[in-house]
Amino acid sequence: MDVSRRRLLAVGGGLGAAALLAGCGGGADGAPARGGANDRPRTGGVLRVGALGRPNAITRDPHGTQTNESDYLILALLFDTLTVPGGSGAVTAPRLATRWEPSEDLRTWRFTLAQGARFHDGSPVTAEDVVWSLKRLRATPAGASRLPGIRAEGIRADGPDTVVLVSDHPNAELPLLTRLTTFVLKKDTRDADLVKGNGTGPFKLEWFRDGNARLVRNDHWHGGRPHLDAIEVKIFATPQAMANALLGGQIDVASNVGPVAARVAGSRRDIQTVRRPGDMAMPVVMRTADGPFADPRVREALRLAVDRKAMVDQVLSGYGQVGNDILGTADPAYLGSAVPQRARDLARAKALLAEAEFDTNATYELFTTEDIAGLAESATLFATQVREAGVNVKVVKQESAAFWDRTWLKAPLYTTYWGTNDSVLFLASKTMLPDAGQNEAGWKDEDFDTAYRAATGERDAARRRAALAEVQKIQHERSGYLLWGVADGIDLAGPKVRGLPKLPGYGRVQLERAWLAS
Amino acid sequence: MAGVLTRAGGLVLQRVLMLAALLALVFAAVELLPGDAARATSERGETAADLAARRSLLGLDRPLAVRFWDWMSGLPTGDLGMSARGEKVTALLAGPFPQTLLLGGLALLVTAVVSVALGCWAAARPGGAADRGVTASATAVLALPEFVVAVGLLLVLSSWTGWFPAVTLTGADGGVADPSMLVLPVLALAVPQIGWNTRIVRAALADQARAPHLETAVLDGLPPRRVLLFHLLPGALPTIAAGLATSTGMLFGGAVVVETVFNHPGIGTLLTGAVGDRDAPLVAGVVAVTGAVVTGVLLLADLVRARFEGGRA
Repeated sequence: MDVSRRRLLAVGGGLGAAALLAGCGGGADGAPARGGANDRPRTGGVLRVGALGRPNAITRDPHGTQTNESDYLILALLFDTLTVPGGSGAVTAPRLATRWEPSEDLRTWRFTLAQGARFHDGSPVTAEDVVWSLKRLRATPAGASRLPGIRAEGIRADGPDTVVLVSDHPNAELPLLTRLTTFVLKKDTRDADLVKGNGTGPFKLEWFRDGNARLVRNDHWHGGRPHLDAIEVKIFATPQAMANALLGGQIDVASNVGPVAARVAGSRRDIQTVRRPGDMAMPVVMRTADGPFADPRVREALRLAVDRKAMVDQVLSGYGQVGNDILGTADPAYLGSAVPQRARDLARAKALLAEAEFDTNATYELFTTEDIAGLAESATLFATQVREAGVNVKVVKQESAAFWDRTWLKAPLYTTYWGTNDSVLFLASKTMLPDAGQNEAGWKDEDFDTAYRAATGERDAARRRAALAEVQKIQHERSGYLLWGVADGIDLAGPKVRGLPKLPGYGRVQLERAWLAS
Repeated sequence: MAGVLTRAGGLVLQRVLMLAALLALVFAAVELLPGDAARATSERGETAADLAARRSLLGLDRPLAVRFWDWMSGLPTGDLGMSARGEKVTALLAGPFPQTLLLGGLALLVTAVVSVALGCWAAARPGGAADRGVTASATAVLALPEFVVAVGLLLVLSSWTGWFPAVTLTGADGGVADPSMLVLPVLALAVPQIGWNTRIVRAALADQARAPHLETAVLDGLPPRRVLLFHLLPGALPTIAAGLATSTGMLFGGAVVVETVFNHPGIGTLLTGAVGDRDAPLVAGVVAVTGAVVTGVLLLADLVRARFEGGRA
């Protein structure tokens, strides 16, 4: 369509402008006013945050399909989830639930709610509210995937401040599932009242209009009084416009604006670049169930043919880390250097292809989209690199809707992407178990399933850790994923902004501790 | 009198039929795109059964013609149907459409004033330096795509000089937070249209200058300004109006690009998002309201022509 072509051109043009703009601003004086960790947070100020979103996809429902980052940011400041992504060693951190403990068999989990937590209208939060909200979430179309293993009847209250979740199977990592989507609403909130945003979160809704919103401090937040007086969320259709707004001083934070903008802003000493490692994985999916890549030797050959460092440098502008074909790189339990890093070895790749009698005369299509920045570029560079091992890969760029309809879960070779890469088990459960609805490579491996079950179901923590290591080793060895690298999430911020989260993925929305220096 | 009414009625009917045909084309075009609204608006965890349920909820399991007819039959009552994400299309348009109208309206106004002024200035001394300069630059800018103009303006008038804000932000009322934010988008839209319309004004004035009654006026010794304003311009008006009316459609097309560059909260981003979602009712809704405005302006131009040409005949 002409519209999208022109849009692309416009986007390209915007980038050029941003590049020139940064180049010109480079002469600006003044040391970057980055505060040390010991600075005392100042109370007050209004933080203007830009976030990506499209007006046709705006949703006000905390349990709706969240396409817009701007909507999710607003909802995550108004409403609390039971738990949130944690930093420093813990994947899961408390939020509305302050602690949780499992039964002996790891199937029943009891969550204790924060003392004194109240909705913005003043009413106290009870376990009944949480149960009602979780059941509402469970009843959405993607509910089974949002609360895997937990049925509606397995959600109940036990007294005013305890919520009990019962899983179909032992799950040592169940609290992980309550991190991103379990927004708590007041019981019996009508759909028409969702727009009031009556949550328990650190900020209260002042107004919302066409994707933009102004939120004011909730002085009585159970997690402590936030520093900022208010947060204004501004919706942007493109990262280019958002970067221009930040460079021009119209906003204070450009959330998830991407590496291109960061490179552009690099010469501006007054702009802070916040790198959040483990943000976005863009693996190549090689179908294992059937087709030309079903032979593990062929998959190994492709993994040896790719030049991972070059991919990270060129596709991600260096804002990322090299991958080792294990999903969940930001997990504290990620094996990292304990598994030898796969490096490029064209000779070995060719030998493996010959051994597997792989047809090097044929051309193999690699499907990709422009859903996220860098994805199509990664496909192109990948194709160039594996051609040197004798594999003829032709990149087919598909429009998003066509890709998800025709290619995803079906094609022998395609690119995919996963955000918030801070849990090995979470991604494994989504993508590598035989009954996972999103088993992208059609992978089925009994040893893997056994290791996964042990990693989530063993009572003994040491045995769980050993099993979790096994889960990663098997992935590294033979799964359908070729993970060449993981992109950092990148936010840009003005000189006075402090206390921004450094967490990958949706951890970036935790702005309750942010503050503005004077 | 009856004749004029019949003629106007015929014109209206013709335009309305064209708009209906255009809307049918929009529905068909969205249908031809790969993928559908149910898939485009789903999230990863949804199963095939969920998708099938969404398809039937959105009515995508019914034939295209039925869906189109359903949508069209709501049109006379102002009902533009439901978007693929379950919002009323009229509600989705309520915020952005006035913003696009404001942007387009201002751009049209700037285009009209500047192009008539430049055209007159050039026509005042045919073949003179002003004439050659205006004509050459008009030709140059009319070929410029809006995004080139937009990025150029952004660079010079925002990034380098800091005179105007780089993007448009809105306040609690959904309106533009500061009028200065409108300057760059309006200019980006208007510049190519000024090029186009200046040429039209200049040519129309030249045409008029060859008319016999003009020679009489000049021979009568009337001052050149009087000749221009009272003898040349009225005759050229139908052509100028037609040129500006054509520009209205181009302005809406350009708005899609310009709004994206400047983050203007209009229908541009709504439209690109709707196309991505395969959201036929929303795409058609955008086309219907913009089409109605363009049709209205074209009718107005027709009436101007009828009035002035009819008056002289």
